[in-house]
Amino acid sequence: MLRFFTRRGISMVFVLFSLTFLTFMIGHLAPGDPILVLMGPRQDTETYAHLRHLYGLDQPLLTQYINYVALLVRGDFGLSFSYEGRTVRELIAQGLPISFGVGGLALLVSLIVGVPLGMFAALRDGTLADRGLVALALGLYSIPSFVLIPLIWMANLAIFRAGYPNLPQAGWGTPSHIVLPVLVLAAANVGYITQLTRASMLEVLRDDYVRTARAKGLLERTVIVRHVLRNALLPLITLLGPTTAFLVTGAFVVEVLFNIPGIGRIAVEAVGRRDYPVIQGTTVILGIAVVIMNLISDLLYHVFDPRIQLTE
Amino acid sequence: MAQQILNLETIENTVRDERHAPGFFRRLARSRTALVSLTFIIAIMLAALIGPLIYGVDPTHTDFTSINAPPSLAHPFGTDRLGHDTLARLFAALRVSLLVAAVVETINILVGAPLGLLAGYFGGGIDILISRLADMFFAFPGLLLAILVAAVFGQAVTEQYGSTARLVLVAGSLSLVGWPLMARYVRGQVLSLRERDFVLAARAIGQSQRGILQRHILPNVAGLVITAATLDVVNAIVGEATLSLLGLGIQAPATSIGKMIVEATPFLAQNPFLVFVPSITLTLLVLAFSFLGDGMRRAFDPTGR
Repeated sequence: MLRFFTRRGISMVFVLFSLTFLTFMIGHLAPGDPILVLMGPRQDTETYAHLRHLYGLDQPLLTQYINYVALLVRGDFGLSFSYEGRTVRELIAQGLPISFGVGGLALLVSLIVGVPLGMFAALRDGTLADRGLVALALGLYSIPSFVLIPLIWMANLAIFRAGYPNLPQAGWGTPSHIVLPVLVLAAANVGYITQLTRASMLEVLRDDYVRTARAKGLLERTVIVRHVLRNALLPLITLLGPTTAFLVTGAFVVEVLFNIPGIGRIAVEAVGRRDYPVIQGTTVILGIAVVIMNLISDLLYHVFDPRIQLTE
Repeated sequence: MAQQILNLETIENTVRDERHAPGFFRRLARSRTALVSLTFIIAIMLAALIGPLIYGVDPTHTDFTSINAPPSLAHPFGTDRLGHDTLARLFAALRVSLLVAAVVETINILVGAPLGLLAGYFGGGIDILISRLADMFFAFPGLLLAILVAAVFGQAVTEQYGSTARLVLVAGSLSLVGWPLMARYVRGQVLSLRERDFVLAARAIGQSQRGILQRHILPNVAGLVITAATLDVVNAIVGEATLSLLGLGIQAPATSIGKMIVEATPFLAQNPFLVFVPSITLTLLVLAFSFLGDGMRRAFDPTGR
């Protein structure tokens, strides 16, 4: 156990180092001068030198990086370049709960919808219903979100024109604003989860202990609930990590198109304004989120199936 | 068996049989969806190459008599808000998107495959070095790194070197996040190949390292590389479209499928056709490459699912 955590710890540190180092280097090797951008129309050498010193840009690159990491460890992400005076931490703290909320809800919805669908398909393997569901899952999985969003908008518009109550197309504020973004994020995930659940259940249904249970004379329902489900749903836990990574990328598109003030949109805007501290901060946070989810999913997997070895 | 003379010829013959090529196309042909997908992809590529010549309409020509028009005889797919013919733009967009995907996969293969090969075959320090390098890029969730690179260097590259350079930059940034996966696949395959009998036999008769790599390992890895690249095309096309969504992809006046969708979305209510034509094309392309890649994967592993 201890060996597992030590190795994981080292690998996590390495991942964080890679994230910060690469982002830092890319940001600082970039053409253009963020201080000039920040100063705007007021261009005088004094303010320039002062701002440069304030942001620590007058020091050698490596020193800057080391300082950055030292502060990072203490939770200080630095000042934003483009949002005058505000700290990166503040901005992230603003957007993170929103993104987590939407993403978490999407994950929940996709599980609630996807798992039963997958089970349904597996139990009716080979029938029209099964094949229809597989095709639907594949379709949902293949459609990129920026294709799905106009489709949903059209549907929403049609509902609106027909006179029925409809959902807001974009924006943030009321509970009804969450519905469409969550739907879009969940859609692709549902496709994936349905396929995975179905495949997993099909495998389990062929296993010996299921035949034994049936031979014992148990009701089909009991067989499913007590034996099949537990083992078939296990692979879903390994999904946590990659799903988070997917939701993170999906969040960019969804937040930009739906105009949601989450961390994805903040990152995108920062990229547009060359606001490197914000870019670095969001990259690090998102990277940490993915790493933590991977860790949790590995641990959970071990909890549910002790046969799985933890050490890689 | 005991009478067999072990000479170079016999061993070479044994080794040659290990290559997948002969049975591969037959197995691929068994999957109908893969064949349909392959036909579709070839058709699309031909359309992109020859289409503009046959159709003859200039995508940048503005027809002021029909703005945001639905399909008609003059404009089979309608027009956009500036009066450009959608079908003509679609041809141009297909060219760009497919070109970007091709460049991305080429870079992925040229960078990822050799690195994976070296890491898998030589192991030890080289393996650790290459694997850590790949992990560094892998650490970035999704397209984050691509977005970063495209955003940071995009403007300067376009200003200094022109739009072709921009295309290469976009492709390059997408392959930055793609090559570690390719390297990982290749490394895994090489690791398992390394211990196979025909490799041990080749070593036993004294073949050079380079010879083994070239004549035994490489051909058997080729199949995996092509399959992985085909499956990755989907990521390349969607990735480029996402970059266009954020304004970081191909710049005007050039257009790509993703860019067409993104530009058309604000006009959804007025001209739904403008959104759906590229959207359907994109979805079909994604499905086609997915099915093809899946078919290839199954053709390479006859024992698989």
